[in-house]
Amino acid sequence: MKNRPLPNIEARIRDVVVATGIGSVVTQLLTIREFLSLLNGNELVIALILFNWLFIGAVGTLLAQPLGKNPSVRKLWAASLALVILAPVQLIAIRKLYGLIFVGGSSVGFYPTLMYTFATTAPYALLIGFVLPYSLIVLRKHIPGYSGTRIYVFDNMGDVCGGALFSFALIYFATPFQALAASHLLLVAALWGGYRTSYPKASRWIPAAGTLLALLVLTGALAWEIPTLRPGTGRLAFYQETPFGRLRVIQDQDQTTVFQNGRPIFFSKNPGAAEAAVHYPLAQVADARRVLFVSADQQMMAEALKHQVAAIDYVEIDPALTRVEQRFGLLAQHPAVTAIHQDGRQYLQQTQKHYDAIVLNLPEPDTFQINRFFTKEFFALVKTRLTDNGVLSFAVKGYDSYVSDVELEKISTIYHTARQVFPHVLMMPGTRLFFVCASRPLDPDIPTLLAKKNISTAYISGYFYGDIPLEKIQGLNQLISKTAPVNTDFSPHLVRILLDEWFRVFSASPNVLILLLAIINILYLWYISKEEFVLYTTGCFTMGAEILVIFAFQIFFGYIYLQIGLIVTVFLAGLLPGAILSDYLKKFATPFLITGEIVLTALMIVFLAGITRFPEFMTGSSFLVFGFFVSLVCGAQFPAALHLAGSGRPAAIRLFSADLMGAALGTLVTSIFLIPYVGILWTAVALIALKLISLTVLKMSR
Amino acid sequence: MKPVSRRQFIQKSALTLAGSLVPGALALAGTDHASPSAPAGITGRIFKNTAPNRPWKWSRPADHTVPYSDKTLMCGICPHNCLLNSGDRGICRSRVNIDGTLYTLAYGNACSVNIDPVEKKPLFHFKPATRALSIAAAGCNFRCLNCQNWQISQVMPEDVRFHTLFPEQVVAAAMEKKAVSIAYTYSEAITWFEYMMDTARQAKEKNIANLWISNGYINPAPLSELCEVLDGANVNLKTFDDAVYQKLNGGRLAPVLNTFKTLHKKNIHFEITTLVVPGYVDDAKMIQQMCKWIVDHLGPDHPLHFLRFFPQYKLDRLPPTPVSLLTQFRQIAMDCGIRYVYVGNVPGHEGNHTWCHGCGKLLVERNGYFLAQNNITDGCCKFCGTRIPGVWG
Ligand code: SF4
Repeated sequence: MKNRPLPNIEARIRDVVVATGIGSVVTQLLTIREFLSLLNGNELVIALILFNWLFIGAVGTLLAQPLGKNPSVRKLWAASLALVILAPVQLIAIRKLYGLIFVGGSSVGFYPTLMYTFATTAPYALLIGFVLPYSLIVLRKHIPGYSGTRIYVFDNMGDVCGGALFSFALIYFATPFQALAASHLLLVAALWGGYRTSYPKASRWIPAAGTLLALLVLTGALAWEIPTLRPGTGRLAFYQETPFGRLRVIQDQDQTTVFQNGRPIFFSKNPGAAEAAVHYPLAQVADARRVLFVSADQQMMAEALKHQVAAIDYVEIDPALTRVEQRFGLLAQHPAVTAIHQDGRQYLQQTQKHYDAIVLNLPEPDTFQINRFFTKEFFALVKTRLTDNGVLSFAVKGYDSYVSDVELEKISTIYHTARQVFPHVLMMPGTRLFFVCASRPLDPDIPTLLAKKNISTAYISGYFYGDIPLEKIQGLNQLISKTAPVNTDFSPHLVRILLDEWFRVFSASPNVLILLLAIINILYLWYISKEEFVLYTTGCFTMGAEILVIFAFQIFFGYIYLQIGLIVTVFLAGLLPGAILSDYLKKFATPFLITGEIVLTALMIVFLAGITRFPEFMTGSSFLVFGFFVSLVCGAQFPAALHLAGSGRPAAIRLFSADLMGAALGTLVTSIFLIPYVGILWTAVALIALKLISLTVLKMSR
Repeated sequence: MKPVSRRQFIQKSALTLAGSLVPGALALAGTDHASPSAPAGITGRIFKNTAPNRPWKWSRPADHTVPYSDKTLMCGICPHNCLLNSGDRGICRSRVNIDGTLYTLAYGNACSVNIDPVEKKPLFHFKPATRALSIAAAGCNFRCLNCQNWQISQVMPEDVRFHTLFPEQVVAAAMEKKAVSIAYTYSEAITWFEYMMDTARQAKEKNIANLWISNGYINPAPLSELCEVLDGANVNLKTFDDAVYQKLNGGRLAPVLNTFKTLHKKNIHFEITTLVVPGYVDDAKMIQQMCKWIVDHLGPDHPLHFLRFFPQYKLDRLPPTPVSLLTQFRQIAMDCGIRYVYVGNVPGHEGNHTWCHGCGKLLVERNGYFLAQNNITDGCCKFCGTRIPGVWG
């Protein structure tokens, strides 16, 4: 079949590029959520998923050059169609292959995680990386000299729309497969529009069949939603996607278990955990009137009510979780209990109430989000909300008969941090290690304290002295390291320590990956041009800045889903006007590029000064404005670099991939190494230094 | 795991047509838990060239070594029978071949030392309400995904903090603390066999009982030697399914069953523990077969403990065991003829207590590790005089 002259080729390819952007961003967000439901959701895993995606995308982009020798619209259509089909297949593969490769119900370590996320996302990410530059190649075949910037702009338009569609609409109303179908319909329509006209009438059954196939796969995949979520044991009684993750309720005989993102968080008939969480702190308070729980279940409430408390406030960020607990009898309504749906830290900042006990029931602080509840600043905030005799209590994973060095570092860090604020910190070691903090002495003899209050228990009365003898508490106190760091909002040491602990559990070390990354990046940097280097550092800077902004925002305002969605969106939204502006001013590409470097550096300095020196001026919108301007400059740099590098095909492809490579590295390095190891201040300084290096390279090579 | 039926498969495949062929094939592979097609086993591997250059203070030449060729040796302690070249370290991490001699690196370096109630082991028919000096050195020949003591079982002896406690010092500590027994526990004592044996011999001389808390994965010869000094044991029967043994624990079923037979033959008091892991060790038929085997080969008198599983270590994405399932398994075991069946990790369950197999009356009422009442006198039921199996004096 001979290629027919194609009417309105630019519009058709533009539609496909925009629609591909929408579909790919939704697929990416769903993929991250999918992995977080299957794998450990620590900061490293989140970064790894993003890294893989961006890195493979960069490789796919580079492949467009050798594979683009004989470009054709039909090949572009076929590749885009393959994307539509691959999106649901990828999701099903992620869910189903886990049980094939790993032991069901188990967590896996660092390298299996790396390999699994890499292998399952590679086909889609490779193709998505390939399609964008290939679109440009095809366009240039038909319209020689077609601007690479325009393709970049179209892609960004799609990305912004996709991000907004997912964060503000699909997340609330659609399951993953429904979201995939909805977000890809536009691409199917765009493909049908273009595909049809590229074939002679007699052969139009080919595009028709292709489109039909894509539609069938998208709609057919809907049938896999529930079967792929069923547990290996028990019955899936409930399932819902919420902005905070995936909720599943599994019922097995007389037991109901609530899973959040693949982890069992609440289950029935668990008196031991409920008693420990409640009585270790409340036994210390002679007359507890008002208690605050940050996340809890019915068993904890029931134990707290044994202390004759007048009021229990229960803060839970995800209202869906409360509803699920209530529906399945894990949280009964009680006149003394008030549910508050808000971020726990934000609530404490806003409330004027004072509590006799504040009980945190949180996951391990292995993400920036949870780390906020284990910092000196947070403890200081809690102290202002406690009565004079009030106590704070929280727990982390503990140990049975031996505490490893890395666990000791974790415990020591938490202990030292709490001691900065509370003169008395009692540690109760067990499989969960409880910390009880107060401004006055605390008594470790919980059974005696409970006996004085006439409170009967099932676990504590019989097991406490055997499980937590006084020698064990004293032994732990003697082991506490004197040199452990203090965990602060801006220096989240605990995240690093918990990553170390994770590596220790799986007898792994990240060194091989670090070495590999270093080699790849050094080789890559050796070969790239100065313009690519600028985009590489800008990609790195932008992702680093985005992670920094989300991290800092949560410290200031709490985890507010919609606003964080907005931050992610503004980091995409600036790209578009930036690119358009720069395209108009391409005559001044070099000064434009240099100015961009200076502006990015200045923006980061202003941001740093704002969060450290003038926090009172940091409103929510200041974070958005910062994000928008960073992405604006980032968006403006691409056309300028493209103009300087020459508008030929290889230059555009190499610049696309430099941006992605930089973004991949920025994601990993910022969240895994910089923030946890050197804190927010030095991370910002490192990003500034990166831009200064890039500026120097640019200046020197002029 | 619930495999997708052929009809369901055809339905779904019809829906998704060609595009769903890949997912369709995957669907046959299983769901997210307990998939039969998941990896066959997690047995550990020998650590090549990781032995220290020379033995340290806490070493001694290993027992039960079989020369193989030149400087290659076979460790004969457990059924892994590690074949170690010079410089290699066994699967358990605590035994190394240094220049043609097999050494244990876990001798006198106790990394966990506690005084525990004997009920915590759990041993319900061995000198109730007494205290056991419980010690462990580093090392284990299994790789259980739900290990409670991974910090000492899955590391090299050189990588943990420890107390220098050679056998005579362990015995002295037990006497000082007035412990009735010494429990070799927490990690896997089989892998620090020499340390356990030498301590146990000295303890016996001082009339201190020796308790072995183990996975039972030991070869017959060292087991026979051990039986000479043993007073009681709690051995895990992790499942009655060899495939699950390989998948969750990195061991095999048959050698463990042989251990039970030997202990029984040698008249050692032992109790059996099975952790009921949802999706893996929760098949009633399998439990019935297991209990029948126990009655047929070991008799009805060895207490059996069903423990409730809680998500931990690497197996942290499973729900806990339903309490009703434990109750059901207890009933199955009693129906099979096992006289003393307990439910653990469930405070307040009637399976926490001991009921006379003769008259059915409550013999020992337990509130956790405490005894609320004890109606056993001279090893017999106070009400009907039936002899209760165990070591009571
Ligand atoms: S005791 Fe250790 S070295 Fe010996 S066979 Fe078993 S695993 Fe191998």
